[in-house]
Amino acid sequence: MFGQLVVSGLAVGACYALIAIAMVIIYKTSEVLNFAQGEMAMISTFIAFTLLETHQVPFPYALALTFLFAILLAVFFELVFLRQAKDPTVLGLIIITLGFEMVLMGFVGWKWGPDQRALPFPVSNIEAYNFYGLIISKINFWTLIVSLVLMFILFLFFRYTKLGIAMRATQQNQLAARVMGIRTKWIFSFTWALSSMVGAVAGMLIAALGVLDPPMMMDPLLKGFASGVLGGMTSLPGAALGGALLGVIENLFGGYVSLSFKSVVAFAIIVLMLCIKPSGLLAKHYVKKV
Amino acid sequence: MVKKSLMFVGLLVFAFFVTAPASAQAVRGVTDTEILIGQWGPQTGPAAPWGAVARGTDLLVKIINDEGGIHGRKLKYFLRDDSYMPAKTKAIAKEFVEQIGVFAVVGGVGVATGMTARDYLMENKVPWFSPVTGVYEWIHPIQKYLFAMYPLYDDEAFNLTGYLHEKLGYKKIAMFYQNDDYGKQGVMGVDRYLLKKNIKLVAKISAEVTDRDLSTHALKLRESGAEAVIIWTMPTHAALLLAETAKIGFKPQWATSNTLSDSALMMGITRGLWAGMINSFFSELPDSNHPLMVKYREAHKKYAPSERWGVFYYAGIAFAEPFVEGVRRAGRNLTTESWIKAMEGMKDFQGIGLPVTYAGLKDRQGGKHVFYGKVKPDGNIERLTDWIRITK
Amino acid sequence: MDIKRNYYEDIELFKSNTILVWSILFLIFLAILPLFIQKYHPLGLSLYIVNLITVHAIVAIGLNILVGFTGQISMGHAGFFALGAFTTVILILRWSFPLWIALPIAGFVSSAFGFILGLPALRLKGPYLAIATLGFGMTITTIIKHMEFFGGRMGLQAPKLELFGTPMKDIHYYYVIMIIAVLMTIGAVKLIKTRVGRAFIAIRDSDIAAEAMGVNLTYYKTLAFAVSAFYAGIGGGLYAFILGFINPESFHLIMSITFLAMVVVGGLGSVMGPICGATLMTFLDIKLQAIQDISLIGPALVTFSQKYMSIAGISNIAVIVYGLIMILIVLFEPLGIFGFWIRTKRYWKTWPF
Repeated sequence: MFGQLVVSGLAVGACYALIAIAMVIIYKTSEVLNFAQGEMAMISTFIAFTLLETHQVPFPYALALTFLFAILLAVFFELVFLRQAKDPTVLGLIIITLGFEMVLMGFVGWKWGPDQRALPFPVSNIEAYNFYGLIISKINFWTLIVSLVLMFILFLFFRYTKLGIAMRATQQNQLAARVMGIRTKWIFSFTWALSSMVGAVAGMLIAALGVLDPPMMMDPLLKGFASGVLGGMTSLPGAALGGALLGVIENLFGGYVSLSFKSVVAFAIIVLMLCIKPSGLLAKHYVKKV
Repeated sequence: MVKKSLMFVGLLVFAFFVTAPASAQAVRGVTDTEILIGQWGPQTGPAAPWGAVARGTDLLVKIINDEGGIHGRKLKYFLRDDSYMPAKTKAIAKEFVEQIGVFAVVGGVGVATGMTARDYLMENKVPWFSPVTGVYEWIHPIQKYLFAMYPLYDDEAFNLTGYLHEKLGYKKIAMFYQNDDYGKQGVMGVDRYLLKKNIKLVAKISAEVTDRDLSTHALKLRESGAEAVIIWTMPTHAALLLAETAKIGFKPQWATSNTLSDSALMMGITRGLWAGMINSFFSELPDSNHPLMVKYREAHKKYAPSERWGVFYYAGIAFAEPFVEGVRRAGRNLTTESWIKAMEGMKDFQGIGLPVTYAGLKDRQGGKHVFYGKVKPDGNIERLTDWIRITK
Repeated sequence: MDIKRNYYEDIELFKSNTILVWSILFLIFLAILPLFIQKYHPLGLSLYIVNLITVHAIVAIGLNILVGFTGQISMGHAGFFALGAFTTVILILRWSFPLWIALPIAGFVSSAFGFILGLPALRLKGPYLAIATLGFGMTITTIIKHMEFFGGRMGLQAPKLELFGTPMKDIHYYYVIMIIAVLMTIGAVKLIKTRVGRAFIAIRDSDIAAEAMGVNLTYYKTLAFAVSAFYAGIGGGLYAFILGFINPESFHLIMSITFLAMVVVGGLGSVMGPICGATLMTFLDIKLQAIQDISLIGPALVTFSQKYMSIAGISNIAVIVYGLIMILIVLFEPLGIFGFWIRTKRYWKTWPF
């Protein structure tokens, strides 16, 4: 049972990690806590659903179109709403993303109605692989693979490509980056697009795992946010580690101690860990100058 | 400055007390040509799928008005969205009574939401016909103006367990329920039956409403070695659990409450795993040949073709039919008292839902029957029994 | 006139006679408001909605002391709200305390928990503090849900209160709640003007600088949490009575977020701001759902939904409008509704320049 709990935990953790990564990408560059991340992923998933189910588009094309939609949505939000804020406070930005979350939630409810649906997905959520007695469903297995590959690509991207380095530069010092010739405004839009795409992947995987309906991202968003904080909101590997840890801890607690307090205990552990290491597991702690 | 302002205020106060009060109606919500009724239901938010009930009632109202109304009066229906938030439900109840002045409240999904409005409606003597949940809160204590119809979860679970145990011979029964009022009263019934037979549930696993990962729950159920598992949750959790158990190769006989009787929906979201489910039902099946069902299906095509003909959509009709029948029997001289008298005399009235019987002030739980069915692989339902009385 | 000559002038509640007069007039207005509302229902308001707004305003004022003045974030205020509600109801139900004793006790129970939550806040900031407070709020409601002592998942029925032998109605609750709200508003104004308030503001502007100037961070940060939780607790206690039935499920994260939205939309760092925010947000939340009943717009929306959207989800328009209003206010008025008021006032003062 222990092994099985850990494996399931890792599979769930991979989803949390993807959302955490999406949130971290944005937080890293622009210090916005994006609470609309979940609903952005949700609406992208609904677009994928419409393409796959109603229009019978083959999966790879549907995927590409969904990504396109995710990018447009994120850039639209960044340009039309966030950038227009005059001297925004941190809280003001949070409220803007929350407002956007409501708009998206309302839109999806209006367009597709409240009923639950099943997302047609090439990988089954019922069949499973059996590794020496450890059962892992195909969808969980592929979730793990997809997240690992995605994390690796993102790592390479931020480390070696010019654009990735420019994004890191913008995060460290916006003014200096601009002086060095980086178009920081472009960078912000790009950040949002990238994050929205990662979110869309997470949304589709979560919907494929279970059910597609408007509130499907509420719980994963909170857990993803928690994973991001656990790993340190400015560290991508931290977000991945945070997600995996959170998934495993939750499952072990649920399996051996109490199912009812499973969700809550994750938060308790995070608070305790944060008290010991206030900026998360893998993020550097900067001391602010006065 | 001070004087002026004070005078202004004085004038306001004066104007206020001088204006005469509006004349009161003879019976609230009943005019010569109209009967006003209202219903709340979650149209937005996580509980929105249940909002179909309130829209189904709208269809019934349209059908009745099309046929000329009841004794020369048309029904006027007010549908309000409470998003499943108690604070909003109470605001709606107050609006119904203080501002719109409805004759009665019909239906209404939700326990926590309905409970905030219950005492208020009763104090103001507003008839409330059948909240669409089967919990004891509606009939304990008995309220003069509140008529319940939805079969009690407790009795339903009691009988379902009996059916699994006696008719189908399952000995090891487990339960998977949602951690709230609804799930708890289901557990109550299962426990009550098993206690009588001196057997124990092999596992009692609960899920929180917000949980979206049920792998641990599935593992625990498999560990218990149950032969039959009773599910008492919302559709999402049932679907998640079936997927999780299927992949770890755990295939017991499933059984569930009538809350999950929308098998078309459930087949879709479980990707076919729903087949073989033993289910209890509170109304005719969606494709039934019952003459009323045929009539309603036609009206549905006419008035609301874009709505899905799901169980909870026409439940909105089923849980309003006895109310309408009561209004009909009360006659042209419709008052709260005459309606209550008509309702109290109702015996085995049946529309498309379960038969309804009331007996004076002693019994306000009108619905006491369900029937069982088994979901076929094509999503249709094989009817296993006729209407069975579950509440003794 | 704006120059202050000594400290006591600065902490005075009423800066001039004009303000005093207007305040008294406003109080008189509040006193006769219920009679007016009960009769005419302006804007579809009922006394119940006004009571709800007032309770939300109390919570928002408290939350603003924490968020707007001390610069901390809390996404778990629904937890304090729930604590206040359940403590009050249980004290009255189980041990038949009178309301005027049960309510302050509930406030202090909440503020004790606020103090506890303030401890990790000493080290955490920004998103880290957000997640800690969010977790706290969820933990409180989960614990309440699992203790039969608190009525478990079924919730608790608030006892019916009596006033001189007659059961209390909305109008009685109105006066009780309004008196408490006025007192707590004055309390907040006073608090901000004194030494404590200055310490809070210093912490918001820069906690390191504040510490260097001799502000005891441990003391003042936990104090801010405790005071804020006290307000939420009192609000929760009153909420239980206007609702009549409390269920742990209803004190969820969305509630915490709504409180936060009230403060930000109303205006951070003022006492009037959260009151405006609570009024607007509560009113919209309850009244927007009738949006498709408005003549002209309604039928158009219905046809549009039938053609391009789904008719089953038409109520979601209210959610969209609510979200948009939140965004637009923050976008165009970073100081919230109260900022708008200040600007208008300044414009008229200096007109025609």
